[in-house]
Amino acid sequence: MELAYYPGCSLKASTEIYDEQCKRVLSAVGINLHEMDNWNCCGSTSASKTDDFLAVALPARNLGIADASDYSGMVVPCSCCYNRLLSAQKVLQTDQSLLDTINEELTDKITGKTKILTVLEAIQFAAKSGDLTKNVVKKLEGLKAACYYGCMLTRFPYDMAASDDVENPQGMETILKALGASPLDWGYKTECCGASAAVNDKDTAFKLMSRIMKDAVARQANCFVTSCPMCQLNLDAFQKKIGTIYGIDRELPVYFITELLGVAFGMPAGELGLDQHFADSTTLLKELNLYE
Amino acid sequence: MATVLELGSDKASSLAGEVMARSGQNLSACYQCRRCASGCPVGEQTGYLTPDRLIRMIVLGKRDAALDNPLIWKCVSCYTCGTRCPNDIMTARVVDTLKKMAHEHRIRPSSPKVAAFHSSFIAAAKRAGRLNELSFMGRYTMKNTLGGLARLRLRGIIQDQKDQAGFGLVLLRKGRVHFLPQKIKNRRQFKRLMRKGRAWAGSVSKSPASQE
Repeated sequence: MELAYYPGCSLKASTEIYDEQCKRVLSAVGINLHEMDNWNCCGSTSASKTDDFLAVALPARNLGIADASDYSGMVVPCSCCYNRLLSAQKVLQTDQSLLDTINEELTDKITGKTKILTVLEAIQFAAKSGDLTKNVVKKLEGLKAACYYGCMLTRFPYDMAASDDVENPQGMETILKALGASPLDWGYKTECCGASAAVNDKDTAFKLMSRIMKDAVARQANCFVTSCPMCQLNLDAFQKKIGTIYGIDRELPVYFITELLGVAFGMPAGELGLDQHFADSTTLLKELNLYE
Repeated sequence: MATVLELGSDKASSLAGEVMARSGQNLSACYQCRRCASGCPVGEQTGYLTPDRLIRMIVLGKRDAALDNPLIWKCVSCYTCGTRCPNDIMTARVVDTLKKMAHEHRIRPSSPKVAAFHSSFIAAAKRAGRLNELSFMGRYTMKNTLGGLARLRLRGIIQDQKDQAGFGLVLLRKGRVHFLPQKIKNRRQFKRLMRKGRAWAGSVSKSPASQE
């Protein structure tokens, strides 16, 4: 399957490993990602906090590029970009004057034809066609994963349908079970990590993350798994510090879902960027004989 | 008996009207069930000023309190309040509207760093078309430092610089910093689109799809 690909700024900067993993892993299951030409920043939540027009216009320009391409679907791995692009598409379905205003300035016009997909949806396509399990060379046995979705994958600022259950999504659990891992039931899978508050309001973000960490540890998870670059960076980079402040004595690796697929497919650790994590990410995999 | 709730009737209708029109949220539908409050992850950080309280404040016409309170700056845009509201009120969009109104009225944010973060983010994204973490964080740190100097908070400035530098070093060590700036092509056309907002804002007095 050939799909358009919107990496977003994070995947070209601090979470470049996720960009690599998405391309490699999805291509292994028969989905080729084609990075959109000349895409721009989605504006993240900062746009909606500062400028009503930019909150739609920034993501919308990318919708135009995707709509003008030959691809019927576009994979957006970053949850925040996904949220902003999908929200803009929804707004422009009902606001003709805004659509006209934006289209006037675009070479590639927005038509609304592109189906916007999360990485989890793309992987599930492969699972349905059997392309997922046939690639598995190592079963992820012993991985007690706390699947962490965060906010942006299922909750939107507009009244719109989510691709998974809003409060109890199962996308990652379904995929991990197919790979032989044991995802856990836990209570904080869609709680907020604080996102940018980790930079501009540390006390708040650390408090939020401490609750997430405490629940995962109490349920005896041995790792977090996520599909959001912001959630991954926050939990990974600040876990040690938060553990010290809140007296949590275990530090869990924070894997991307694509990373674990790569491990199950037998991809080399270097290609997956397992060494670019902050919390120790290799010891657990070695203990489980998933990584040499 | 002391008055518990005071209605400033003329102020109330104008404030509520403005916030409802700009945020697209029907605040008169709120019946104070507090499902939003029970789900709000920053309740403790705002002194339990939860979304339901904020809506009440607006409906009662408390303009000063509505534009200057911890919730509008502590809100993490998790959208839990809105997805759980039985009347489909997305308070996070109300909060975003109040941020913009506070900025227009030049009210100093109770968390200046949050405001500096978002304005620096958008300025950086508008400039290159993509967000470059180095130039964005530089802009943000500069804004904070100047803001801190203006408020004579030297110790705060030093601590912030240390935190930023520490985090920067950790990212660097893990090979997660990129020095090559990302830019889009044909930025002239991009900037024309960015400027289009001014004309659009003048032609309509509502936020996108506010009538849905």
